[in-house]
Amino acid sequence: MAILVDKKTRVLVQGITGHEGSRACAEMLSYGTKVVAGVTPGKKGQKVSGVPVYDTVKEALKKHPEINTSLISVPAAAVQDAATEAIFAGIKLINILAEHVPTRDSAEIVKWARMKGSIVVGPASVGIISPGKGKVGSIGSSTISKVFTRGPIGVVSKSGGMTAEIAVTLTKEKLGQSTVIGIGGDQIIGFDFVDALKLFANDPETKAVVLFGEVGGAYEEQAADFIIREKFKKPVVAIIAGKFTKDLPQGTVLGHAGTIVARGRGGYDSKANAFRRAGVPVAHILDEVPGLLARRLRK
Amino acid sequence: MKLTEFEGKELFRKYTIPVPKGVLVQKPTQKLTIKLPLVLKAQVFSGERKKGGGIIFAKTVKEIKAGLKKLFNSKINGERVSKVLVEEKISPLKEYYFGFSYDTESRGPVLTLSPQGGSRIGAKPRSGRPRTTIVPFDITLGAEPFIIREALSQARFPSEDFNALVKIIQKLWKLFIDEYALIAEINPLFKTADGEFIAGDAKVILDDEKLNPGERRFIELGGDIAILASGGGASLLNIDALLRFGGKPANYTEYSGNPPAELVKGLTQRVLNRRGLKGCWVIGGTANFTDIYETMRGFIEGLREIKPRPKYPIVIRRDGPRQEEASLMLQEIAKKEGYNFHLFGSEVSMAESAKIMVREAYNRETRDQKAETRKKKR
Repeated sequence: MAILVDKKTRVLVQGITGHEGSRACAEMLSYGTKVVAGVTPGKKGQKVSGVPVYDTVKEALKKHPEINTSLISVPAAAVQDAATEAIFAGIKLINILAEHVPTRDSAEIVKWARMKGSIVVGPASVGIISPGKGKVGSIGSSTISKVFTRGPIGVVSKSGGMTAEIAVTLTKEKLGQSTVIGIGGDQIIGFDFVDALKLFANDPETKAVVLFGEVGGAYEEQAADFIIREKFKKPVVAIIAGKFTKDLPQGTVLGHAGTIVARGRGGYDSKANAFRRAGVPVAHILDEVPGLLARRLRK
Repeated sequence: MKLTEFEGKELFRKYTIPVPKGVLVQKPTQKLTIKLPLVLKAQVFSGERKKGGGIIFAKTVKEIKAGLKKLFNSKINGERVSKVLVEEKISPLKEYYFGFSYDTESRGPVLTLSPQGGSRIGAKPRSGRPRTTIVPFDITLGAEPFIIREALSQARFPSEDFNALVKIIQKLWKLFIDEYALIAEINPLFKTADGEFIAGDAKVILDDEKLNPGERRFIELGGDIAILASGGGASLLNIDALLRFGGKPANYTEYSGNPPAELVKGLTQRVLNRRGLKGCWVIGGTANFTDIYETMRGFIEGLREIKPRPKYPIVIRRDGPRQEEASLMLQEIAKKEGYNFHLFGSEVSMAESAKIMVREAYNRETRDQKAETRKKKR
């Protein structure tokens, strides 16, 4: 087991002929993930790394009904159109790699996904990897894929860059990962910590979860509330970046688009306190995470 | 991007939301033709403008002159006043509050509203009932009149105002959506004795991702260790770590994704072109797909432009694609050109490299290192 991505994953890449799209396609193939089709309007008939290109998602699905996942790697302004196309075509897992998607467009995508029953991970998601089974997106490219090892830890991170760093830190201490997910650091995202915890709760391979959060928004507070409310059983360890922002003017945006300096809810203390109330230790530095996990896994 | 009140009201006019008659004044001697009494409003971004003395009422020409002079010579919460909006003074019967924004709980737009608007909106309510009501809106459905009526009813607005308010809120919604705003707020919305509704103030923030996608963020932090951090999340975490170990960051900046060497060069120059630096920390996590060689090439090009040549320690901790090539290049350049580089990959954690940076920059050990040294001595 694992969540979201496994050996049965069959990927469609929307924006496959673009720079990022073709690179992600090649990387997924080299990791052993089956990329079966691509879409770039106006480029039907081309091939990218041997993968056939179509004009529409519907066309691709007709030829390759096994598609169950779409990776969206189109320019920011085209993301809403592409994601909505995938949702209405009935694809159940959509991973948006593209960054800088306007908040309004993200809100529309998330709403449609909820109504139509698709899971949207992103925007600005580095991808999803279930080590040894498959990956979607740019996560763990080329030689870096060796830092992601198979094991019992689920990882959910607002930061894409931190996914590999967390995996390095865990792997060093012989803690492999079940699934690592970059959920993106935007204000409105399709798949948050709570969504991940819900899936990890039912995944027998996952024994503990690491959450990497950042100041801004309330996704971390919501995760803490969820852990208390649903009596989430598996150990969870959190890290929250941006403690130093406490002294910056409210409303300052830094790092990711959703990293908005706030007092009260959304600020560092609010998140750290919420996690502590939920029995989730908050690591000050990444190096503390393996120890905190190991202690809880032994119990 | 945050708009000034004047810019916000220009947008209101575009969407036919009524605003008071007014003119933007850029120097205290400008002639005015609006009927008295007037209100003079400093065009600053601070939310506590009234408290900070940024709003002056004037009943006579003399008061206008004095008021403008005062405003143009003042700072409101540290912000210099360069523009003043002069408007007719409205005598309202009531002041309402309406604002659209996005909310991470419902992951969509929400309308925040209150029949008691004005500058007290941020204050804590005296009774148990909160001053504002927050109503999620379905972005795929839009601001249908019935949804607005339900929101007004929930927030206990007087029935007589429902129909007029629905029209204004629909216009505000249209602005919020069509302009890709993150916040569109009217506070207060005046109700006059004639039953008219007029927007007294405008707060609008537009989405930078729509206006200038990928704009680099840069904040001065006042310390003496220059930082070139990569990754939106890692950069925040690393500044936290540096502070934790006693380092003083000079700046916050960040480059993500796969930046071209040219961009890193420019950023390097911006970060290092200042006096009093005691160190430079080039810090990032293990990259998923960033070409580390390209990034470091950009760093070196920027570094070479800095005169005099930096003698302070430069701690570089980075890993990812083409890390080994990058490391070889850096070692060679350090030897040839005489830089004080300390190079690490993922064998040294980000936090460890923060400790090393602090030790090298200030020529002293962090608390943890002192404790370790003491342990060894024993």
